Amino acid sequence: MNEENQNNMPAGVVAAEGKIEVPAGGIKLSEERKDSVINAWTLALVGAVASLTILCTVWPDPYLDVLAFLPGGLVITFQVTILSILCAIPLGLITGLGRLSKNRVINLIASTYVEVIRGIPLLVQIFYIYYALAKFLQVSGLTSAVIAISFCYGAYMGEVFRAGIMAVNKGQTEAARSLGFNKVQTMMYVILPQALRTIVPPVGNECIAMLKDTSLVSVMAMPDLMQFGRSYAAKTYLYFETYTIIALIYLIITLLLSKGVSILEGRLNYYDKRK
Amino acid sequence: MFRRFLMAAILVPALMVSSAFAAEKITVASDPTWPPMEFLDDNKQVVGYDVDMIKAVAKEAGMEAEVRMVAWDGIFAGVAAGNYDVVASGVTITPERQRAFLFTKPYYDVQQIVLLPKGQSAASFEELKGKTIGGQIGTTGIFVARKSDVQMNIREYDDVGLAIQDLINGRIDAVVCDSPVALYYANKKEGFNDKLSVAFRAPGNESFGFVVKKGRQDLVDKLNAGIDAVRAKGIEAELLKKWLGD
Repeated sequence: MNEENQNNMPAGVVAAEGKIEVPAGGIKLSEERKDSVINAWTLALVGAVASLTILCTVWPDPYLDVLAFLPGGLVITFQVTILSILCAIPLGLITGLGRLSKNRVINLIASTYVEVIRGIPLLVQIFYIYYALAKFLQVSGLTSAVIAISFCYGAYMGEVFRAGIMAVNKGQTEAARSLGFNKVQTMMYVILPQALRTIVPPVGNECIAMLKDTSLVSVMAMPDLMQFGRSYAAKTYLYFETYTIIALIYLIITLLLSKGVSILEGRLNYYDKRK
Repeated sequence: MFRRFLMAAILVPALMVSSAFAAEKITVASDPTWPPMEFLDDNKQVVGYDVDMIKAVAKEAGMEAEVRMVAWDGIFAGVAAGNYDVVASGVTITPERQRAFLFTKPYYDVQQIVLLPKGQSAASFEELKGKTIGGQIGTTGIFVARKSDVQMNIREYDDVGLAIQDLINGRIDAVVCDSPVALYYANKKEGFNDKLSVAFRAPGNESFGFVVKKGRQDLVDKLNAGIDAVRAKGIEAELLKKWLGD
């Protein structure tokens, strides 16, 4: 039977097999699509930059005035975003590991944190930390903002880290353990580096969402981009013009950030592409 | 040009809809965070001097006013978009606002008052140099503080209550707001009156007016006639005594 099969196998099948084994071809296609000039990202960025330029050159009054008024707010927006990212990622990692821990107490603490924080809107958390807790403990606007945003996103990221770690094949742990790695070494040198590939894209998304959500800190009278815009609109009553410019600025920043995330993602997936 | 076209495209249908009903009923927007001018009572109804005033004025003008709660930040955008006919929310008449909206005749005069924590004093903005002063976003208090040209850190809160809360919490050094509101917090409101003191009145008088969208001069005329009638009949004096007595 076996022999017959082999005998009957026409020469063409080998060739066909050779053709079938072309994931490389598929990837080539998607790369081509990525490289083409018109994609959604380019369209959005060019559109946003062009609208901003046209609005400001054709109607410098009031659009250029609005634009000139806003940069002061960018400092706070970036400050809050960067500090929150720096706090939220370690918090997310610890939470993710805690959720996977076999120690029941640690697991319970991490899970309760995720359930509680995930169930409270960020705006409410900001009000709570800044205005409600002020009765007992007073922290500055910036600290409140960073605490509220990083606690909120730490919970979301904990779930991302947990999923990323769980996605690594169990065989990897078993192999590392049988090679004599202890639990910490296994996690640090074998599991986490592999989990990173699945973790980075969603964490990048969370960071972009975080930047957008910093607009909520304006309720604490923090002079961020949104607050500057509201202040300008409240003074001039030019709501349409002000919020158009604000939307375009946020859009341009997040588009640039999302490009950064996708470049990082591409680097981490180097071996996937080569396969 | 484009802006005008867009405004027209939004306003014309809104105008047609609102003018069809305006003869009988008008919708009034108020931001109920300024006691005693307008605030929420225990039954979650918007009450206060402005509310009673616009109801009385509308009644004298042969209309019925229905008061709706609207957040301050956006209250002007809403009247321009035709979501309601009138804003009665302690709005000071300023030249900038008059360029964008129509105002009735003044119905109440105020000043800007600066509040400090109990025991502290100051006589002018100069003495607050380098300090942090809070107020409600887009209100004349903020404008006056900014116009003083004194180097102060100005923080704009969503409503004046939050600014006063932050003053009591010690995060900011002073609050600037309309005199009736400042006096209410400093003298009447429990939990606040023992922690605040009135520092000084900023120079310059202001007047409150009711705000109407541009192009509704007919409504302004009716309301002006209503204000005259309310004054002539002594209703205004009654309301002043009721809400702003002592």
